[in-house]
Amino acid sequence: MSQKSFARSLGIRHLVCGSCNGCELEMNALAAPQYDISQEGWNIVASPRHADLLTVTGPMSEAMRLAARRTLDATAEPVVVVAVGDCASGEGTWCGAGSAGAGAGQELQASVVVRGCPPSPDAIREGLRAAATLLDGRNS
Amino acid sequence: MDNLYRERQVAQADLAAALDDALYDALPLGCYATDRTVRTLSLSRAGVLAMVTPLQPGEAWESLASRYPLFANHEREMQAMQGIDVRSSPDRRPLYFRADAIPEAVVAEGRGVSAVVVGPVHAGIIEPGRFTISTGGESVVHIDAQLSYSHRALEPWFEGQSVLALAPQVARVCGNCSVARSWAYARAIEALAGAELDAGTEYARLALAEMERIHIHLFDLGSIAAGAGYGKGTTAALELRERINQLNRVVGGHRLLFDSIVPGGIRPGTFADPGSTRAILRTIRDDAMRFVDAFLAKRSVLRRLEGAGIVEPAMARRFGAVGPSARASGIACDVRALAPYGAYREFSFTEERASAGDVFARGEVRRREIERSFDLLERALRAMEGVALPVPTELSVPEGTIATVVEGARGAESISLSVAAEGRVGRLHIISAAYRNWPLVTRAMEGNIVPDFPLVNKSFNLCYSCVDR
Repeated sequence: MSQKSFARSLGIRHLVCGSCNGCELEMNALAAPQYDISQEGWNIVASPRHADLLTVTGPMSEAMRLAARRTLDATAEPVVVVAVGDCASGEGTWCGAGSAGAGAGQELQASVVVRGCPPSPDAIREGLRAAATLLDGRNS
Repeated sequence: MDNLYRERQVAQADLAAALDDALYDALPLGCYATDRTVRTLSLSRAGVLAMVTPLQPGEAWESLASRYPLFANHEREMQAMQGIDVRSSPDRRPLYFRADAIPEAVVAEGRGVSAVVVGPVHAGIIEPGRFTISTGGESVVHIDAQLSYSHRALEPWFEGQSVLALAPQVARVCGNCSVARSWAYARAIEALAGAELDAGTEYARLALAEMERIHIHLFDLGSIAAGAGYGKGTTAALELRERINQLNRVVGGHRLLFDSIVPGGIRPGTFADPGSTRAILRTIRDDAMRFVDAFLAKRSVLRRLEGAGIVEPAMARRFGAVGPSARASGIACDVRALAPYGAYREFSFTEERASAGDVFARGEVRRREIERSFDLLERALRAMEGVALPVPTELSVPEGTIATVVEGARGAESISLSVAAEGRVGRLHIISAAYRNWPLVTRAMEGNIVPDFPLVNKSFNLCYSCVDR
């Protein structure tokens, strides 16, 4: 039996950790017909239990830290964390501002980083593809 | 000068009466504290009025919230951020919290009442909030909305920074109302500096703000379609919004138009070719109106939208509701009509209102506003062709305090700015439309069925980042 690839079937759980919502607007654009990630078999799922990867945005707010960690813990291995946007990547406007953390992706050890403020839907899609490739490597 | 700012000293003992007086024909904007001085803001045709109430050492703030519930969260914020002692508040819970000390939700009690908790992480691509829904069977008895999960204590962090250099941060306080907030911020600085802008800049700013309104309104309508279980509508709305985002990239240098309005001007090269932009917009307009008209006339959609999540006008007034959500309940509150600024002073503008206050009315107001936005864009871009290219204005920012208000896609977006020596931020306070409207979302749900929460919630589609800051 041939090895199935995650590239054709990804369950995505999205975590907002002090983002300005700009990254969310672009994540939502992935459902527009111009991108339509559901055609690739990629879906935003309703539970971390259904997820293969976590997309995270924002610098990390104090109030989200625990829920973010618990979400990651609840996701079945193998799981890949994708930092979406400059803030999650540790280089954004709000990293270290006020009580904000240094980047949600940094705190949750993201393996894939998608830069941009916000990143374009195309860039996010490329990041998801890279995550699928990583998952294939970790699942064998 | 547009949208004038006035201050009036009002002792705390006289404030409630002064507010009754001021709010007779003005829109309440909220209140905020700088150290121990509280400013209570309202907007009328005469502009922004700030009632300035200094607290004496040891003097507590007597809560206004039982008379005017709209102040409840402002008071909690003053307590948390400025350490002001608030007396007789109906809600004593801390506004901000750490992950290990989340305030307890208010839950209804009684036979057959049970509670469901959702969040702060949700099943879609939305910001974090915890909703505790008390239900009796299918009907919602009460919803407790716990926001503040995105609180980053940004306002103290602004202080001491260069007012001019802070513009990119202000543009990123919230992705949904970025252009409106950047415009309010620029206007605050320009008014303090006494700068007059050229006509080309004002037309371009108006056009940028309307581009933002169209893409957010389309997104909100798509979200209503999703809440109603009408997938085709969501897809169609996202397709149209994407076309606006791509046009934004071309005409304004950014898909969401971040940094397109800057103090003293606009991003260089914005609307470089107004003629071809108008042609593209006409095509998008035809498709957008065809979709929106059909969507809001579809029988199965109407069955879901009509009568859901009703906000009575009295409720909207009590909470100082703003934006399309308030106008759907008949409230006159469009800043573009109430206290016109920039090129809105030149273009006569009548606000769109409805009366039913339900999900349908909130969609219907947006439908008409999208059409008005395309009208305004056509006029502004035409006018741009007849004037010189925009030239940025050099600004030197003197000390002073001001508040400005701009109509964003979700309502009145206000900026309060105090400039200290050397052009540094003394205080920068943000009151967003979403901050005003959040209390309505939960109240609109009372008596509705639990499965309609996504629908009713999305008919407001409020942001969190600018509320929590």
